[in-house]
Amino acid sequence: MKKIIILFLLSFSLQAKDLLVEVPGMVCQMCVYGMKKHFKSAVKDPDKDIIVDLEKKTVLVKTKEQLSDANIKERVKNAGYEAAKISWIETKKSE
Amino acid sequence: MKFLLTVFLFFSFRIFSHPVIYGGGQVYQASFMPKMNALNIGYSITSRYSINASANHFENNDNYQDYTFGVNFLAKRWLQNDSQGNLYVGAHGGRYEDNQDNGAVGSLMAMGDWESREHYILAKTKSYFYDNKEELSYLFRYGFAPYVAGMNELQTWLILQTFYFSEQSREAIITPLMRFFYKNVLWEIGYSTRGQSYLTLMVHY
Repeated sequence: MKKIIILFLLSFSLQAKDLLVEVPGMVCQMCVYGMKKHFKSAVKDPDKDIIVDLEKKTVLVKTKEQLSDANIKERVKNAGYEAAKISWIETKKSE
Repeated sequence: MKFLLTVFLFFSFRIFSHPVIYGGGQVYQASFMPKMNALNIGYSITSRYSINASANHFENNDNYQDYTFGVNFLAKRWLQNDSQGNLYVGAHGGRYEDNQDNGAVGSLMAMGDWESREHYILAKTKSYFYDNKEELSYLFRYGFAPYVAGMNELQTWLILQTFYFSEQSREAIITPLMRFFYKNVLWEIGYSTRGQSYLTLMVHY
């Protein structure tokens, strides 16, 4: 039973929720830079933890902590865009 | 002050990729043509407003130089899934001096653009005021990306620019340009039908 509990807790520690924001209209390198600028305070390493996909029009952010929808929308707005959809996806921790 | 067509052409090249960028964004730009150079610094207070300061120097026009300050406003942004369109307006004013004269100089600008990852269209009109005169210029650009670049990849654009300055010439000046955009650095090189080479460097923070 003890092993089951430890495995259960360990599985939680190996999983994290990453922020995925759909942002229509992102087409250029400056969009990428603007998004990185406005999400960098929410991550540990902006170079690795913010991934802007211009093909899918998404911003994936490995946040330090959960952000509110209002906070996320404000960050996207300050970058010059609108958040069409906000979701939290479970990913396995790489480290 | 005797403005030359080449001076206005040079002004046309001094074009920010976007007059307003993300909130808190800074733009540092230097542009060069033979015997002409310019420095621009821009700051976007929000993603809707920006202010900028610029200095121009033209050795071949009575050693002309000017210093201007301006404001730009993103009036409207249309966001589609794979593209965006923008409408900007701006006003700039300052002082000029050359070997013979000095005075106030100003301009009003309206600019619209549309871009996807493969195509880019820009139309801009600018009204200049100096020595109690008013002059209008028109600029059109079409750009094509030969390949689609992702995050942290070099983006290349092939651009054809047409510049028309109604008061001083009936001739449109056509300039093929190449634009490169890598991370936060943009640079453009071109050569006009009037034989003028051009280089601009721009960094965003």
